[in-house]
Amino acid sequence: MSWIKEGDLNLLEKISANVLKAGPMPKHVAFIMDGNRRFARKKNMERQEGHMQGFNKLAETLRWCKHLNIPEVTVYAFSIENFKRTKEEVDGLMELAKQKFERLLEERDNLEKHGVCIRVLGDLNMLPLDLQELIAKAVVTTRAHNKCFLNVCFAYTSRYEITNAVREMAWGVEQGLIKASDVSESLLSECLYSNNSPNPDLLIRTSGEVRLSDFLLWQTSHSCLVFQSVLWPEYSFWNLCEAILQYQLNHKSIQKARELHQEHQALQQLEADRACVAEHLQHHGNGKPADAQRRQEALLHYTACREDRVQDFLEALKHKRNSFFSDLCSKPVLA
Amino acid sequence: MAMLYGLLWRLLLLLVHVNTALVSWLRVRLRSWKGRLWERAVALNHNPDATANPVTGNRDDGRRARWLSDGKALEKLPVHVGLLVAEEEPSYSDVANLVVWCMAVGISYVSVYDNHGIFRKNNSRLLEEILRQQNLLGVDGSKYSIEFLSNGSDKHNVVSCRPTVKVLSPEDGKQSIVQAAQQICRSVENKERSSKDISVSMLDVLLRESKNIPDPDLVLKFGPVNSTLGFLPWHIRLTEFISLPSHRDVSYDNMLDALQRYASCQQRLGQ
Repeated sequence: MSWIKEGDLNLLEKISANVLKAGPMPKHVAFIMDGNRRFARKKNMERQEGHMQGFNKLAETLRWCKHLNIPEVTVYAFSIENFKRTKEEVDGLMELAKQKFERLLEERDNLEKHGVCIRVLGDLNMLPLDLQELIAKAVVTTRAHNKCFLNVCFAYTSRYEITNAVREMAWGVEQGLIKASDVSESLLSECLYSNNSPNPDLLIRTSGEVRLSDFLLWQTSHSCLVFQSVLWPEYSFWNLCEAILQYQLNHKSIQKARELHQEHQALQQLEADRACVAEHLQHHGNGKPADAQRRQEALLHYTACREDRVQDFLEALKHKRNSFFSDLCSKPVLA
Repeated sequence: MAMLYGLLWRLLLLLVHVNTALVSWLRVRLRSWKGRLWERAVALNHNPDATANPVTGNRDDGRRARWLSDGKALEKLPVHVGLLVAEEEPSYSDVANLVVWCMAVGISYVSVYDNHGIFRKNNSRLLEEILRQQNLLGVDGSKYSIEFLSNGSDKHNVVSCRPTVKVLSPEDGKQSIVQAAQQICRSVENKERSSKDISVSMLDVLLRESKNIPDPDLVLKFGPVNSTLGFLPWHIRLTEFISLPSHRDVSYDNMLDALQRYASCQQRLGQ
């Protein structure tokens, strides 16, 4: 079945969408698509069939998001913890993923037409090589598209993602691109797999569970969390509207909290820069305490240098990541 | 046309607010009705000798025993409960109540958080209030004595078997992760380790060094805001979130309800 479902909303859906769009709308929605197996049990079908229905629901949800002008969606498709499942189920899921990515490559013209950019976030080297190659092809093929964005978290957990970001910063230090003192909250954010996306405004988890299960823990610290009891394959347009309404009700207070946090962040960065400058002046000064003007000039200069260093490091990181995908693409696909 | 949709949207929000107000009003009425029923039931079951002698001590003993048995009756009890106050102007006495009830029911670690860092700034006031509530509710001070840990005071490895209260603020969240990352990068800068050595468990151990408490099993979120507001991002990967409308005038039964909901949830841990 296809990734892209064509078709308009019906009249009632259109009206509701227009009413919602009169208020603030999330620009990035994340989904924990939970409940496929319980759905399969409920309908007396095979587990694999439940996962297939789950995928169809994803395609449908993307269509709704397009009509609601939500340009970016992130989904939790496969957690590193899911490797603990039976070999049969894991192999089945890998096979399903392979089929879906193959299908995606077949639909590349359609994807171009709709401007869909696919990104896959996770520790991809944990996956079978042929799946990695398909993923790389999908990512590289759609890289330049910019109308809407689908981020698929596969072989992902938030803790692994944060650890990887720290590893990348340590790599930057090893390469002499940045200093340890350049490590900051915003730099860590730029080193996450999701660095090309703004933080999700809204996180929806289906099937009634009320936990985050190691999904986007860093990025959703100031997102609206909505837990819905419907099973994922039964998700409807109205469930989505309900979640968006929750977002709209929480919008002002979350916005305030976000701004407060950003203020703190900026202050922290300023303090850190000041401390570095003070240390530098102490070491390289001539024993006399520097006057306020000299300190201010030194601070401005230090901040500018730090920002340049960080930019160069991020460029190098981007290049490293792009090469990872391009190298996989240039390998012949295993039969 | 846009104006019409704008009006309809405002009407929709109004309807939702009216609905929420109605539901919470009904909840209050139901609670007070249930409360009166309970009082009558207790009066019927009580030994006439005990009721004839309304000494505060007896009543407190009864309450403490009830709390303990409530805790034992639950299928599972969280080891660490986080109290996330997502409301403006926190009420210290209500938060203190919650802390004391949690510990009386058998929960070993309780943390208190708000995203303005108000509790952290007024650490001592909260402690005073908790001690006062302990005395008021007749909870034996020495049995349930609290180790009141604010950040940084537990550098030594204390294995505490007494209930512990921790006051947290946004600095304990992302900022702590950044500090750990800086520490690791500094050791890489000093050639003490390589970037390839960095693992999830290394970061986990570092983050646990300064906050020697287990991950929260349950977070009780008070207030209308549906967000974690920066609460311990690293530690909440498997935390259950249960929302309560407000911490103001929260009752023991509200808290017990939430604990019962927690007890019935099923964690599959990826499998």
